[in-house]
Amino acid sequence: MRRPVLGMGGGAEARRATVSPLDRDRPLVEAARREPARFDALYRRYLAQVYSYAFYELRDHHDAEDVTERTFLAALANLDRFEERARPEDGADASTFRVWLFRIARNAVANHRRDRRRHPVAPLEAAAGIPAAVDVEGDASRGDEAAAAWRAVDRLPADRRRAVVLRFVEEMSTTEIAAVLGRSEGAVRVLLHRALRSVGRDLRGDRA
Amino acid sequence: MTPGGARDELEVDALRTDRYLEALLAAHDRRAADTPSDGALDPAVRTAATQLTRQLVRVHPSFRFEDRLGGRLAELARTMRLAPAAGGGVVPVVFPYRGPRPGPVVQLRAPDGELDPRDLRPYLIGGALTSAALSLAGAAWVAWRRARPVRISPMARAVRAAREVRLVQRLS
Repeated sequence: MRRPVLGMGGGAEARRATVSPLDRDRPLVEAARREPARFDALYRRYLAQVYSYAFYELRDHHDAEDVTERTFLAALANLDRFEERARPEDGADASTFRVWLFRIARNAVANHRRDRRRHPVAPLEAAAGIPAAVDVEGDASRGDEAAAAWRAVDRLPADRRRAVVLRFVEEMSTTEIAAVLGRSEGAVRVLLHRALRSVGRDLRGDRA
Repeated sequence: MTPGGARDELEVDALRTDRYLEALLAAHDRRAADTPSDGALDPAVRTAATQLTRQLVRVHPSFRFEDRLGGRLAELARTMRLAPAAGGGVVPVVFPYRGPRPGPVVQLRAPDGELDPRDLRPYLIGGALTSAALSLAGAAWVAWRRARPVRISPMARAVRAAREVRLVQRLS
């Protein structure tokens, strides 16, 4: 589902009119609070998203599974702490369940990286392995394009790469990405713009 | 150009990119053949946006993993349902005592035929959430032990009878 971002002009009234309430998970969250077994619906809805995020961050299926598991177990155990913030103007922590979940996932990824640094077990897979894993059609030229795209994304600084993954893989709005990363919306827009500019130049260089 | 002017220009470009992405991703969701156009947009941004929209796909974990984690979450959910009774150490769980009483004769009854207070034995099942299952098992074992008919030796029976006679004499 696409989510609108803030309108560009017209002041506070116009902004209120163009911001959609970020509360589509409210019924599921309330049901899960009453009956923890109902958390399953939220789990099925967001499993692939959280897993993808972890996979693009860590580039290893086992590590991604580990982070995904920690994320959902922590989310269920702490569901009572989740506070829905229906509108971005509620504060810097404006949050939907999805944003909250991804913040848990972001922390889980960071913890996982820290653990790996302390107890390294194996080198990270080569970045080029990613497109092969997701290239279900097996088309060679498409695989090349995917590999080139991922190489370009992989060369980005971590914060830009993260913003790109949240935007293109998770299809988050600028507002949501800002809440997940703890940045302002303006900063996220600049991050994405710079990321795309360098990826584009990289791809054009690859093609040349 | 002043640093402030450059920053403004960057923000305007970033905003333009953002709007373009919104339109592009919306078109991609609709599976629309036409892609949005913006003549002022940096061509490198357009190239990257088009490629990444096509190439960065969502990855699904294995169904085996999905089921396993679903099972673990269900297990945690069950534990959470038990937690209000087991956690915090403040809610007593009452196991009514219904087994036969050892010893031959004497029963103490509450006045007015009320339930004998000894028949309600509160067991506090407290402690950490993770130990809830162990606590339940322990409480069930204690209840079973109390309810179980006890075989006592003739000597122990004599001692108990003497104690109960003394108790009756004291009460009468």
